[in-house]
Amino acid sequence: MLNIIRIEWLKVKNYRTFWILLILAVVVIPASNMIVADVVGRIPKQATDLLGRNFYDYPVAWQTVANVNSFTSIIFGLLLVTLVTNEFTYKTHRQQIIDGWERMDLVLSKIFWVVVLALTALVVSFITAIAFGTVYSKSSFSFEGVQFLFFYFLQVLVSLSIALMLGMFVKRSGLATVLYLGYAMIFEQLLSVGLKHSVGVIGGLLPLQAGDELLPFPVVDRVLPSSSDYSHGVYELTIILYIALFIGLTCRRMLKVDY
Amino acid sequence: MSILTLRNISKRYGSLQALREVSFEVPRGSVFGILGPNGSGKTTLLGIVTDVLKADTGDFTLFDQLPTAAQRRQIGTLLETPNFYHYLSGYKNLQITAAVKRRDEKDIARVLEIAGLTARQHAAFKTYSLGMKQRLAIANTLLGDPDVLILDEPSNGLDPAGIAEVRALIKQLAQSGKTIIMASHLLDEVEKVCTHVAVLQKGKLLTSGPVNTVMVREDFVELGSKDMSGLETIIRQHPLFGNLAAADGVLQVFFTGTVEPGELNSWLAGNGIWLNHLQVRRKSLESAFLEMTQN
Repeated sequence: MLNIIRIEWLKVKNYRTFWILLILAVVVIPASNMIVADVVGRIPKQATDLLGRNFYDYPVAWQTVANVNSFTSIIFGLLLVTLVTNEFTYKTHRQQIIDGWERMDLVLSKIFWVVVLALTALVVSFITAIAFGTVYSKSSFSFEGVQFLFFYFLQVLVSLSIALMLGMFVKRSGLATVLYLGYAMIFEQLLSVGLKHSVGVIGGLLPLQAGDELLPFPVVDRVLPSSSDYSHGVYELTIILYIALFIGLTCRRMLKVDY
Repeated sequence: MSILTLRNISKRYGSLQALREVSFEVPRGSVFGILGPNGSGKTTLLGIVTDVLKADTGDFTLFDQLPTAAQRRQIGTLLETPNFYHYLSGYKNLQITAAVKRRDEKDIARVLEIAGLTARQHAAFKTYSLGMKQRLAIANTLLGDPDVLILDEPSNGLDPAGIAEVRALIKQLAQSGKTIIMASHLLDEVEKVCTHVAVLQKGKLLTSGPVNTVMVREDFVELGSKDMSGLETIIRQHPLFGNLAAADGVLQVFFTGTVEPGELNSWLAGNGIWLNHLQVRRKSLESAFLEMTQN
């Protein structure tokens, strides 16, 4: 595995697109929270009194950061789609098998990025939550509610698993990107709303929606009735099963098909 | 020891039967040419051997063992087109190959020198000409000095000087005892370097083995005279006459046994035929191949 990691490092070390997208994905985390903090700062005091607390007060700060970041994690997915489809564009996936990689090594090399990008998102979010909590919170530091960052981590993992599967199945960069964006931004939302209306709460068990159910908008969820009808454990298990399914399907395909 | 043994390999793409129960063996130290016109299944066959394609039926061994990735690391392979990261330099691309093959990066300078790319090693691959890309692919196969090379159309995209250099390189590698498996539709290329051949046509193996055994390429004699009709009449009376064909103002005469040119000249003079052209020639691999594939 160490050799695979070294090879992946050699591929991206001098790859400008990778670094631009990575910096964008990382910077957007504190930046989007800064915008939210700015908007929150303009809410009249009477309204915030009604809500009970500030969005970046501990322990709500964890949930706020996790919720806000869940809207921008798609950039990590775009980065992964690029890394995966590059191999097919340059046919380097063939060359690495020819030169002596196992087919599974090829899948592992991209699962490595799924994990690394999700951990990056988690760590940057953690630092952001502490920074924003320190600056804006009127209450003292607390780890209460930190599990929302774990829910966010799960959502990023499932989102990256979808990107991995699409990249490996579709192969073509442009098409995989459009399908990924279309699914993450529109299609799943429509499907979820449709299912919730026609079938019921099961509409909340779609891959990305399950993460959204775990990450309601903070403070407001205390005022508005929650749409979640399953316990947190059900949504967490659902996401983990989706991750296993998407990675499993990817492995199955890449071990069997012609390159 | 056999380097590669194929047993009844078949592969189908939809309605197209790309390979049909192909079996042959590549002995150690041979320069093994896989011949066939475009679309005969050469690249498909090598794709199966290198695990980028899966055979429908049949199996194969590498170094007399079931094939594994570790064995592929012992083989230098150029399959179809050069596959490299366009945004990385030639050197950095070879660093990736060295890591995949688990070979020392120190060897990169040597193979770049052989490929004539030392001066451009730090330029991005996307800035390379077609010939330079092919040279980098050849450098890639030589990395780590493997004992076995698989080369699929190695002179693709090269200019005449480059083709001659690659041919000389293959000869030199063969002389150093390496086993080379080479697919080509350029018979001239194969004729100059191969010791063994396998001939494929529409996915079917027509023949395989040592080149002089499987490709019948008997000697013939080209004869010319002012009196061509007299020459034709007299030569038919030669005790070892086989058959003849007229070509470009000369007669190509095949004999049923060995005929010494001086004796033949003397025999014809004795029968009143004075030659102005006499040359012993060998049927080219190309005509032998065409005969085989057209039958």
